[in-house]
Order: sequence, then structure tokens, then C-alpha cells
Amino acid sequence: MKSTVETNYNLELSLIIPLYNEEDNVKPLYLSIKKVVEKLRKSYEIIFIDDGSTDKTFTLLEKISREDKHIKIIKFRGNFGQSAAMAAGFEAAQGRVVISMDGDLQNDPQDIPNLLQKLDEGYDVVSGWRKNRKDKFLVRKIPSKIANKLICSVTKVKLHDTGCSLKAYRAEIIKRITLYGELHRFIPALAKIEGAKIAEIVVNHHPRKFGKSKYNLTRTFKVIMDLTTLNFLMKYLHKPLQFFGAIGILLNVLGIVTLFWIACRLLIYKFPVIQLNILITVAFLLLAGGVQFFFFGLVTDLIVETGTRKRLYLLENYRSVE
Amino acid sequence: MKSQHTTESVKFPKISAIVTLLNLEDSVEQIYSSLSQTLEAYGEDFEIVFIDDGSVDGTFTKLSQIADKDARTKVIKMRSTFGEASAVDAGLKATRGDIIIYFTGRVRIDPKDIPALLQKLKAGNDLVIGWRSPRRDSRLNQVVSKLFNYIVRNISKLKLHDVNSGILVTKRSVLERIPLYGNLNNFIPLLASRQGYNVAEEKIGQLAGTFRQSRYVKEYLQRFLDIITVIFLSNYSKKPLHFLGFVGAIFVIVGLGINIYLFIYRIFQFGGIAGRPLLLLGVLLLMIGIQMISIGLIGEMIIFTHAGEIKEYNIEKIIGYSGE
Repeated sequence: MKSTVETNYNLELSLIIPLYNEEDNVKPLYLSIKKVVEKLRKSYEIIFIDDGSTDKTFTLLEKISREDKHIKIIKFRGNFGQSAAMAAGFEAAQGRVVISMDGDLQNDPQDIPNLLQKLDEGYDVVSGWRKNRKDKFLVRKIPSKIANKLICSVTKVKLHDTGCSLKAYRAEIIKRITLYGELHRFIPALAKIEGAKIAEIVVNHHPRKFGKSKYNLTRTFKVIMDLTTLNFLMKYLHKPLQFFGAIGILLNVLGIVTLFWIACRLLIYKFPVIQLNILITVAFLLLAGGVQFFFFGLVTDLIVETGTRKRLYLLENYRSVE
Repeated sequence: MKSQHTTESVKFPKISAIVTLLNLEDSVEQIYSSLSQTLEAYGEDFEIVFIDDGSVDGTFTKLSQIADKDARTKVIKMRSTFGEASAVDAGLKATRGDIIIYFTGRVRIDPKDIPALLQKLKAGNDLVIGWRSPRRDSRLNQVVSKLFNYIVRNISKLKLHDVNSGILVTKRSVLERIPLYGNLNNFIPLLASRQGYNVAEEKIGQLAGTFRQSRYVKEYLQRFLDIITVIFLSNYSKKPLHFLGFVGAIFVIVGLGINIYLFIYRIFQFGGIAGRPLLLLGVLLLMIGIQMISIGLIGEMIIFTHAGEIKEYNIEKIIGYSGE
């Protein structure tokens, strides 16, 4: 008997919207989403995640939820960040299709039907592309362009705008992705690790009306580090020994070459040993380091084997469902 | 043996006090009597659980005498010394109260001040940590503690004066969400605050008398290592590469710089480098740097493969999910 991956979804559509201090945007956001979603004639839910807002966001959400049974609110105890908020939303979602969007009204709910249409063409993830971004050029658009180029080349996922929150996913894919840290920026890459087919469509983008933007430039370093991690994971998650082993071999070769060099000096050029003391230490250092990296690789192999057995199994299962 | 009707009446106490003890036979009586008197005066139903963390003196005998007399008390004897964190965990599992008072017998706090902590908890906090003031233990202890807390204040967002005081009151739900192992009992306020709980502090007096002195330099060294724990808990626990990648990158850059300099020096025939200690330094730095980055990547890999089991967020409330 072939077991299939969670095929029972109660609803057709789940909308995931993380909010953090967006009291001015709550009501207009709700109304604009409602207008679009009602027209789709699908069963749906709208999940708001209040990421520890300190303003009236939660009270306003609660008020809306009393009148609309499609609304679900997840209130966090503190501010845990966008990745955590989206993770909570994805986990709670009951829809066959899950759509995420920003809570700042910069995304346009009017694009939702287009996302769904693209998804129906046979994709697993459809990402929005804010072709005409309405943000400050220097602090938002330029860094975003560079980041996208970088993410694109590292992850090999060809998207113009990975940072756009407006995305649609098949539940089978998004339920398998665990977001933590600041990984929400890399959902398409994570989806690719899970074997998803990814597409993008151009979406509208509005300038911010209320509240202030919650991004800053100082995150660049973290993004680079996350990207390094992702690059490493995408290439070596199932064969870490190849990565660490390569470093080990490199160091060992360097060590042996150095030893050879020392031998030449001693035997051919008749250098006194005392002059080569430092070089000898360097050679041994390189060799010791090289051996260590092999052990790193072995330990990491163990970690991956104990950690991912379940994941691999699910992955194959998903493909067989296809 | 406890009689049946007395155990019935304390089945669901509101307050559970967890007191951990290690080789404190002289203080047992005093801790018990002042704590039970204080809690009686406070007026809520309570229970006291003593955890004997593998004492080798008469602590357990004294405790069992108390437990025989007073049905509100319970004694848990560990098979050997497993440490504070495990003791708290064992205490937590053996109690039922919604409000937990935890303190370690070692710090000799004055239980009379506990109601003040409870008041502050009621005022809307999820955890109140005692701030030992005035302190009566040794000068050296105080200086080390001051310095430690000063550093912790600067690293973490919490502005506490005595983060590892060893006395706190909190709600059961808070402690149940916090990982308790190793040395983490020293950082319960930080862990709670990271889960989004409100943390406050309140002054609590210390009793005069003899204090167990730290007999080893090891224990002060431990404080230093604890600071590294705090850094990780505060910032990088889910993203080891953010920290190790940064430090590693500095090492790599400096190491590379040295090696490039030496390379140029050699190539343009300024002289030999085989005997220069700088060469050793350059190679060493480069290698430590690469190692740090590698360990960071291994950390990331561990977290990535186990991410499904870790929840980074703490939900306070869900609205709109009816049972259907």
C-alpha cells in the first residue's frame, strides 16, 4: 500500500499574513482581501499572525474576527520575527493552496487570482515580482537588486524578486519547509531543495501608506551568512564529506608539498635544519588540520544521517504522488 | 506514613515551592520552618518539594523527618549529584501548582521576602527573579557576581542585576517551555524573556551565616564560560554561522593578509621566509578561521536537519479556531 502525504485539506485556500504593529493597516487590509477572495468562490481562511505587536493591532483583529468566521488569529507572546510568524501560519493553514503576503498594504490582493491561475498551470510555488517597486531607491531598491542577483546565482532559482512576500504555494510543499532564523527570504530556494517547480508573475506594488518600514541595511552581513549556509546545504546536505573532505585533501596536499620542499632543501641544498624549523611546523600544522577536516566530514555525515532520514523519505513520497 | 485525609487536602495546591539542596544539613530545618511560615502567612494553598541533589551528609535524613511530619512537603532524592537544572526539572515534574517558587538552598535567601516576589508576579509579570540585596556572602563572590551581571546586562536586552541569583517565582507554563539542562538554570530569566514572557526583578534579603564558598577557581571560570552561553542564547542560537562566520572571517582575512605579504616578500626576492615565525602565524590564523566557519556550517546543518522539532515562537492565543 502506498501512503500518500497528507491529502486531506479542509479548505481550498489559506492566506497567511504576519503583522507587527500595523494598527492603521489592519482594517483596510482586511477589506481589500475580503473583496478579492469572496469573488473566487472558494472555501478559504485568512490567518493573521500578530507577531507581538505593542499597538492596537490585536484588538482590531479580534474585532474583525468576531464578525467573520473565516478569520483566524495567532497571537505571539513576543516579537519572534517574520520567519517564525510565517512558520506558525504555514503550520496552522488548512488550505490546499497557501498564499502569504505582507501586512503593510504594499502587496495588492488583486493579484491573488493571477497567482492561483499560474499555480494551476502545474507549478508548486508562484512568487510575486514587484516589477515597479514603490520604495526608496537607494535604501530599498538597490540593496534588493543586489541581493536578488546574489541569491539567484547562489541558489540557482531564477527569480527577479525573491524578497516579495506575495507568494502562492501548494500545501504539500510549504508544509514540508521549516522556517527559522531569517530563512523566509529564501523560501523559493528551500522549496527547490524539496523538489518544487517554481514560477513568478508580475504583481502590483503600492507605496507604504501607514506605519514605517521595518527593514534596514545592517542585515546585509546576516543575509550573506544565510546565503553561505543555504549554498552549503543545497550542495552538500546529503554529502557533507565531499565538502569537508575536499578541504582536508587540499590541506594535506599543501602539507605534503611543504614537506617535500623541506626535504629538497635539506638533502640537495644542504640547509641546516635550524633554518627550516618554522617551515617544518607549518607542514605539520597543515597535515593535522587536513586530518581534522576529514573527521569534521565524518561527524557531519552522522548528523545528517540521523537528522534527515525522515526528510528523505518524505521527499521520495512526494515525488511518487506526482 | 502520611494519613489519607491530609494528602487529599493538598492535592491541588496553588503554589509549589521547589527547593534544591546539596549537603546542607545545618540549614534544612531553618529553610523549612521559615519558608512554611512565610507561605502559611501568605494564605494560598502550597506544597514544598525538596530536591536532595545527591547529598552525602545528613540532609536527606533531616528532610525525610520533615516530610513525615508535614503532609505538604515532599522529598525527592537524586541518585547522585546531577546539577541544579536537572533538580529543577525533577521538581517541576513532581509538583502540581500553577505558581512555582524555585530557590537553591545554597544562596541562603530570606524566605520572608518571597511574598514581595509573588506580589510582583501577580502584577502582570510571568517571571520575577530575586535580586539579592543586601548581600552577605563573601566579597569575592559579590565582585564576581557584579561583574558577571554587568556584562550580561550589556549583552542581553534584559536589564537585571542578579540574573543567576538562584531564587525566582514564576508560572508553571513558563518553566515548562524552557529547556532545563546543564548550566541553563543560571539563565532562566533570559530564556523566559526569549520566549516572550515578561520578566521583572525584586529585591530579596540574604540571611547572615556561613556560606558555602567556591572552593575551586573552576567555578569562577565557569562564570566566564557562562557569558558565552548568554551571547549565544541572546543572539545566535538558531544561526551559529552569524557568529562563527563573523569571527572566522576576521581570522581568515588577517591570515590571508599575512600570507600574501610573505608571498610577495618571497617572490620579489627580499629574502627567505622559511624561518619566519610570521609564516606560522599566518597559516595558523587561516586554518583556525576556516575551522570556525566549518564548525558554524556544521551547526547550521544540525539546526536545519532538526528544525522541524524546534519551535522558535511561542503562541499566546489562537482566535477563530473552533473545534470543528
